[in-house]
Amino acid sequence: MADSGIRPERSSIRPISASGVWKVFGRRVADAMQMARDNVDQSTILAESGCVVAVKDASFEVNRGEVFVVMGLSGSGKSTLIRCLSRLIDATAGTVLIDGRDVGEMSDDELRDLRRHTISMVFQNYGLFPHRRVIDNVAFGLEVRGEEKEERYQTATKMIELVGLDGWADKYPEQLSGGMKQRVGLARALAVDPEILLFDEPFSALDPLIRRDMQDELLGLQERLHCTMVFITHDFSEALKIGDRIAIMRSGAIVQVGTPEEIVAHPADDYVRDFTLDVPRHKVLSVGAVMAPAESVDWAGVHPEGEPVAVSASLEGVLPRLLTEGEPVVVVDDKGGRCGVLEPAVVSRYLWPG
Amino acid sequence: MRGVGARRGLSVSVARMTSLDQRRFIKMPRSVGLLGLAALVLGGLIVFLPEEITAFPPEWDIGFGPAVNEMQQWWISNRRDLGLYLYFFDPLSDVIEWLLRAFEGLLLGIPWYVHVVGVGVLFGSRMGLSRGLAAGGGMLYFVVLGLWELSVQTFALMTVAVAVSVAVGIPIGILAARSEWVNRVLRPLLDSMQTLPAFVYLIPVLLFFGVARVPSLIATVIYALPPVIRLTNLGIRQVPTESLEAGTMFGTTSGQLLRKVQLPQAAPSILAGINQTIMMALSIVVIAALIGAGGLGQEVLLALRHQEVGRAVEAGMGIVLMAVMLDRFSHSTIGQGQGPLAFSELWSHRGVRILGFVLGAAALLGWIMGWTDVPSGLQVSYAAPIDWAVDWARDNLYQLGNLPLGTGPFSDFLTTYGTRPMRLYLSEEAWPVIVIFFGFVSWWASGKRLVVGSVIGTVVIGLLGMWTLTMDTLSQTVVAVLMAIVIGLPLGIAASRRDWLERSLRPVLDTLQTIPSFCFLVPVVILFNVGRIPGIIASVLYAVAPVVRLTNLGIRSVEKEIVEASESFGVTKRQKLWKIQFPLAMPTVLAGINQTVMLVLAMVVIAGLVGGAGLGLEAVKGLARSDTGLGFEAGASIVILAMILDRITQGWATRFQPPSSDGH
Repeated sequence: MADSGIRPERSSIRPISASGVWKVFGRRVADAMQMARDNVDQSTILAESGCVVAVKDASFEVNRGEVFVVMGLSGSGKSTLIRCLSRLIDATAGTVLIDGRDVGEMSDDELRDLRRHTISMVFQNYGLFPHRRVIDNVAFGLEVRGEEKEERYQTATKMIELVGLDGWADKYPEQLSGGMKQRVGLARALAVDPEILLFDEPFSALDPLIRRDMQDELLGLQERLHCTMVFITHDFSEALKIGDRIAIMRSGAIVQVGTPEEIVAHPADDYVRDFTLDVPRHKVLSVGAVMAPAESVDWAGVHPEGEPVAVSASLEGVLPRLLTEGEPVVVVDDKGGRCGVLEPAVVSRYLWPG
Repeated sequence: MRGVGARRGLSVSVARMTSLDQRRFIKMPRSVGLLGLAALVLGGLIVFLPEEITAFPPEWDIGFGPAVNEMQQWWISNRRDLGLYLYFFDPLSDVIEWLLRAFEGLLLGIPWYVHVVGVGVLFGSRMGLSRGLAAGGGMLYFVVLGLWELSVQTFALMTVAVAVSVAVGIPIGILAARSEWVNRVLRPLLDSMQTLPAFVYLIPVLLFFGVARVPSLIATVIYALPPVIRLTNLGIRQVPTESLEAGTMFGTTSGQLLRKVQLPQAAPSILAGINQTIMMALSIVVIAALIGAGGLGQEVLLALRHQEVGRAVEAGMGIVLMAVMLDRFSHSTIGQGQGPLAFSELWSHRGVRILGFVLGAAALLGWIMGWTDVPSGLQVSYAAPIDWAVDWARDNLYQLGNLPLGTGPFSDFLTTYGTRPMRLYLSEEAWPVIVIFFGFVSWWASGKRLVVGSVIGTVVIGLLGMWTLTMDTLSQTVVAVLMAIVIGLPLGIAASRRDWLERSLRPVLDTLQTIPSFCFLVPVVILFNVGRIPGIIASVLYAVAPVVRLTNLGIRSVEKEIVEASESFGVTKRQKLWKIQFPLAMPTVLAGINQTVMLVLAMVVIAGLVGGAGLGLEAVKGLARSDTGLGFEAGASIVILAMILDRITQGWATRFQPPSSDGH
C-alpha cells in the first residue's frame, strides 16, 4: 500500500503477464484443444471429447497500479481465468508471470509465499469464515503467516476502519448485511498489504444501490493505495466505471482488450458491439475519440470563432452546444494547438450507431 | 438415532423435487408388466411344484454353527499362545479395563450430591432454570432408587466407548473427506454397518473376546463409530469452496487449512455425529448386558428374566432418563454451534466459577471424609406399586368383562389374523417360490444386481439352517411394519395439515426416537405378557416415528407454488392431497418407511428377550448359552435379511425420486 516504494526493482516488470493460457476440464485435453483451435463450438467439443474448454489461449498484460477488468457473461471462463493467475486452478497450458516469476513453476512453498505476501483475493459470495469474528477474519492472512496476535489485531483494526466498519470488529459475519460482508472481504484482502488484488465478481451479490456505493468506495481506495487490480464482472457498465482497461471474454477466449473508450468507440466485433449498445456513450467517450483529426479536416468550412474544446474533455460537456448550434467545433490539445474538429454528423454516428 | 442423518439426506431429496416426476410415469408400464410376469411365474410355481417341496430342506444345513463352535474351542485353548492376543488384544484390554475402572472410581469417588448439583448447574446454565432443576431431579432419581452404582457403570462404559469412537472416528472422517479413494471404500461399509441391528455386533465379539466388559466396549465402539465418521466427512465436504479458496489464497499450509478453516466450519456437523454416537453407544451398552457389560441394562435384563416388572421399570426408566438427558445436553452444544468455546465463555462468568470451586471443594471434602454413600433413609422404590399394577392389568385389562376387548383379545386377534397366517404361509410355502419372489421384488425395486444378491442371500439363509426362523422373523417384521404404516401415515398426513398437532407430536416422537430400543420391552411386557405380540407392539412403538415424521415433512416441503397452482384450479382438499402433495412427498415418505423397516427389524430381533421367537430368540440363546455357533448362524441370517430389506426399500424410494436436475 503506502510503502509501494520499497519495491523499486520490480517497477520495470509487469506485475501480471499471461500468455497463451488454456484451461481444459476433462481427460482428452489435447483433442479438445485442437478442436477449440479449429473454432469448433463448446457444445460440440463437450459432446465429442467430454471436455470443457473454460479458458482458450488467453494472453494479456496488466500494468502496475492499473485496474484491469475482465468482463464476460456467465460461463465465459472469466472466473477460471482469474483462478489460473494465482494457481487456485492449474492452467492446462501457457504461462502466468507474476512480477516476472512463472507461477506454474513455483514450488508449494514459493506459491504459499506468493499468496501470503503478494496476491490477495476478494470473492463473489464473500468467502468469509463464519466461525470467526470480523476482526479474526480480517486478521486471518496475518495469522496464517505467523504474525503475533497484538500486531495482527492492530493492522486488522486499521483495515476495519479503512472500510468503514468501526465498531463491528467483534461481530460474526452472519450478523452483517451483504455490503458489510464484502467490506470485511475487502479489509481481509487488504490486511496482508498485497501488491496485487484479485476480485471475483465482488459486487454481483449486492443490491444495485449498495453496489454503486461499493464501486465508488473501491475507486476511492484505489486512489490512495495504487494496487494492481484484476476485477471480474459480468456487468459492462461496472467494467466501464471501474476499469482502466477492459478485457472482454467470450467462450473462454479474450475477444478484445482496450480502454473503456476504445471498446465503446471501436468494438472489435458484433458480440462486443452488443454490449456497448445500451451504454450512455456521451459519458464514456471523450472528444478525442470521436473528432476528425486535424490532418483530415478541410479547414475552409470551419468557423473559427467558436470557443474550442480540449481533446481530453468528455463529450457530455460539448454535446448541448453541438446539438443546438449544429456547427463543427474546433478541438485543441493541451498546448492550445488545433488538433481536430467535432463534426455533428460524425458525432451522431458514434452516439447512435446503426 | 438414524434420524439426523436421514433428515439431512431428505432435505437434499426434497430440494430436488422441483417438477412432477416424469420418470415414474414412464416407468409404470415396465413395473406393471413385471408384476404380471411375476404373478404368472409364481402362480405357475405354486400350482405345479410338487406338494412335498415346502420349507428349505433341513438336511441341506451346511453345519456352519458347529464349525464356528469348534473354531472357538480351538481359539480358547490356544489363545494363550497366539501373539495377537499376547501382544495386542490382552494389553489393549488391560488398558481399557484400567481406564474403565479409573473413570468409574473417579465418578463414584465424587459424592452423589455434588453430581446432582453439578449436573443441575450445567444444564441450567445452558438451557435455563427449569431444565436445570429437571436435570438435578433426574440425577436424584438414580440416587434415591438405589441405581447409583449401576448407572455410573453404564455411564462410564458408554463414555469411554464414545471417547474411543470419537478418537478413532474423527481422524477416519478427516481421511475420508480428503481422499476420494478412502471415501469410496468406506461408504458401502458404513451403510451396511448402520443397517445392522445392534444385537449382531455382540456375536463376533463374543467369539474373539468372550464375555466381559471390554468385549462389550469393543462392540459398542464398532456399532457407534459410523455417525462420527460419516458426519465428520460430510461436515468437511460441506465447507463452501469459496471458503477453501479464501483460505488457500492467504497461503495456508494444508494443516492450517484443516485446523483454521475446515474443522471449525465442520464442527456443528461433527457434534451432531457425536450426539448420534452417544445415543447409539448408550443403546448398545444397555443391550451389551447380554455379554456381561453390567450396569442398568443388566438390571433390566435380570428383572425381565425373573418377571419382576417393577424392578425392570425402575431400571428402564433410569436408562430412558439417561438417554434423554444425554440427548438434550449434546443437542444444546450443537445448537450454539461453538462447542467448547461456549464452555470457556461459561467459565468466564464469576458466579459459575465460584460455584465450580464450591462444588470442587465439596467433592474433595466428601471424598476425604468418605461421605459418598447414599443415606438409607433416602432410598425409595416404586417397584411394589408397579408390580401390583401389573397384576391388576393382567387381571383386569386382559379382558374387559366378557367383552371381546382388552389386551388378550387384541393379541389373539393379531395372532389369528396377522402373525400366524403370515408365518405359516411363509414357512410352509415352497422355498423356491419365496426365493423367486424376493428376486422379483428386488428387480422391481432396484435392478438386476440386487436380484443376484437377494437370491444368493435367501439361499444362504437356508443353508445356514435358519429358514423357518427367518420366515418367522420376516412375518413379524411385515406385520409390525404394516401396523406402523397404518398408524403413522394418517398421523403424518394429519400433522402436515395442523400446526398444533405437529407441535404436540414433536416431543413425543423425539422421545420415542431417543429411548434405547431395549426399554420398549418393559411396558409391553406389562400389558401383553411374553411372546411374539409384545415384541410386535414394541416394534411398532419404536419404529412408528420415522413414518409420521417424514410423511409430515414430505407433505410440508412440497413447494408452495405448486400447491397454490393446484388450488387455482379449484381442487378439493382430498384431490390436493392425493393428486399433488402425496405423490410429490412420496420419496420422503418412502425414506421414512425404509427407516421404519430397519427399526422394526432391529426391535423384532431384540424382542427375542421377551420370547419373541424367530432369529432374535435364537441369537439370545446363542449369547446366553455361549453357543457362539448358533449365535453366528442367527446373526448372519439377521444381517442378510436386514441388507435385503434395506436395499429393497431404498431402491423403492429412489424409484420415486424425480430425475435430478443438478447435472451439468
